[in-house]
Amino acid sequence: ESHIQYERVGADVTMKCGSMDWDAAVTWTANGTDIDESHLNGSYLILKNVDLSHSGQYSCYEGSSWHLKYLTYLRVGTPPKEPVLMCRSNNYPKGFYCSWHLPTPTYIPNSFNISVIHGTKDMVCEKDAVPKNRCHIRYLQLFSTVKYKVTLTVTNALGKNFTTLTFDEFAIVKPDPPESVVAKPVPNNPRRLEVSWQNPSSWPDPESFPLKFFLRYRPLILDQWQHVELSDGTSHTITDAYAGKEYIIQVAAKDNDIGTWSDWSVAVHATPWTEEPKHLTTEAQITETTSASTSSFMAPPTTKICDKGAVVGSGAMAVCWTAGLVVAAYSVLFI
Amino acid sequence: MAAADSPFTALRHDLCSRGIRLAGKMRADVINLLDAYVEQQGLDASSSVAAVEGVPLAAVERWDEQTGTQRLLENLAAYRAFRALLAQMLEEQQEQLGEADMGLGRALAAVLLQVSAFTYHLEELLRLESCGIPGEEGDGTPPPPCLSLFEQKLRGLGVLRELAQWAVRSMRDLRQLAKPGLPTGAAPGLAESP
Repeated sequence: ESHIQYERVGADVTMKCGSMDWDAAVTWTANGTDIDESHLNGSYLILKNVDLSHSGQYSCYEGSSWHLKYLTYLRVGTPPKEPVLMCRSNNYPKGFYCSWHLPTPTYIPNSFNISVIHGTKDMVCEKDAVPKNRCHIRYLQLFSTVKYKVTLTVTNALGKNFTTLTFDEFAIVKPDPPESVVAKPVPNNPRRLEVSWQNPSSWPDPESFPLKFFLRYRPLILDQWQHVELSDGTSHTITDAYAGKEYIIQVAAKDNDIGTWSDWSVAVHATPWTEEPKHLTTEAQITETTSASTSSFMAPPTTKICDKGAVVGSGAMAVCWTAGLVVAAYSVLFI
Repeated sequence: MAAADSPFTALRHDLCSRGIRLAGKMRADVINLLDAYVEQQGLDASSSVAAVEGVPLAAVERWDEQTGTQRLLENLAAYRAFRALLAQMLEEQQEQLGEADMGLGRALAAVLLQVSAFTYHLEELLRLESCGIPGEEGDGTPPPPCLSLFEQKLRGLGVLRELAQWAVRSMRDLRQLAKPGLPTGAAPGLAESP
C-alpha cells in the first residue's frame, strides 16, 4: 500500500505505517536509508519543521520480517500564491488568449481552472497544448461595451488562490511586433537608410484592420532615439542619419484605432552609404614606394597626384611621372 | 460587379475614405466628451451601465459575414437614433445646468453635429449603392422615459459609450465596404488563417 502525502514547508509531519498499530515494531527508511529511532513515536514517524529536502519516499517495514508494510511519498511544498494572469489579443478580431504563471513555485503539482464571463454569458477558454499555461477564446461578438471577466483559480493539495481580470474588448488588443525588419543603405546617399518590414503574421486581416507603426533609430554611439510614427505603409526612409555611423533600428505596431503598441521588433543594424576612398594610381604607387624608402614623407591620400579617372593619353602619364620624380627628390632632402 | 477602377468604385472608395475620417474624428471627440461628462456629472468612469432602451448597441455577432448593405443600414439606423438621443441629452443638460456648464453643452452640440453629418454621409453611400433609404418614422426613438436625474446621467454615459464603440465599428464597416471588387450585397468574410 502507498499514498502521497503533501505537507507545508515548516510543518510537523506524522507518518503512519498504514494500518499498523501504534505500538507495532517497525523500521522506517527514507529513500532507502534507515531512519534513526529518535524520530519515531511508537510506529509513527515524526518529522519536525519539514523543508523541501524532506521530500522523498518513506518506507515502513514490519520489525522482524522486514516485510514492506507501507510506502509514503512525502511531498513538501507551499499553497499557491495569487497567480499572475495576462490576457491579450494579438490576432484581433479573431479572439484573445490568456496566459498565467505562479509568482513563486509551490514544489507540488498545481491545477489551474479559468473561467471567462462576458456579461452573463459563460465562455469557453480552450487550453493550448503548448504552452500549457495558456488558453484562447474566439470572439463571439465584436464592438461590445460589456466587459470580459476572467477568473483564474489555482489549486494544489495545500490550498488554493485566484485572481480576476476585467477588461473591455479594445483594451487588450496588442499586435505582435513587425517581422522581417530590414535596413539598407541608399547608394550615393550618405545620410539615408531605407527601412522595410512586414505586418506580424499573427495579425489576420491587415486590410480591414490596418496597423500603424512606430519606428525608432539611433546611432550606436548615442543613447537618444529618434522616433517616427507612420500611419500607413511598411517602409520608411531615414534621411537624417549621421554619415558613416552604424545605426540600430526597431519598429513597433498598433491597430490603427484601438489597443496598445506592440513590443519592439528585433533590432537591425545598418550604416549609411559612404564613398569608397579613392586608391592611388599605379604611377603614384611607384612614387610612394620610392619616397617611402627614404623618408616618412608621404603625400596624403586625398591629394590627387594623378587622378585615375583623368589619366588619358601619354601627356597625363608624363605629368604623373614628373610629379613622382619631384616627390622623390624632395624626400631625399629630408634624409 | 464593377471593375476595380470604374468611376463607381472610385467614388465609393472616396466616400468610404471620407467616412472613415469622419468617424475617426467623431470617435476622438466622443472620447474627450466622455471624460468631461464623467467628471462633470460626478460619475465613476468604471461604472457598468446596463443596456438602455433606445440606445443602439454596437455589439454584433458574425460581423465579418455582414453584407455591405446590412452594414450601411445598421449604421444609418444607429446614427439616426444617436442624433435623437444626443438632442435629448443636450436639452436635459440645458435644463439641469442652464448657463452653468456651457463647455459640456458645446461639446455635446459639436458631437451632435458630427453625428448628423455622418448620418448624411451614410445616406449618400446608400444612394450610391442604389439602396433605398429607409424613412425615419420607423426608427425614431421612443418617447423619453421619466428618469430621475441620476438615471438621466447614467443613460447619458451609456449613450456616449455606445457611440464611441459605434464610431470604431463604422470605421471597420467602411473599410470592408471600400475593399475593391466587392459588391455591396456580398459578405466579404475574414480569411481564416491556418
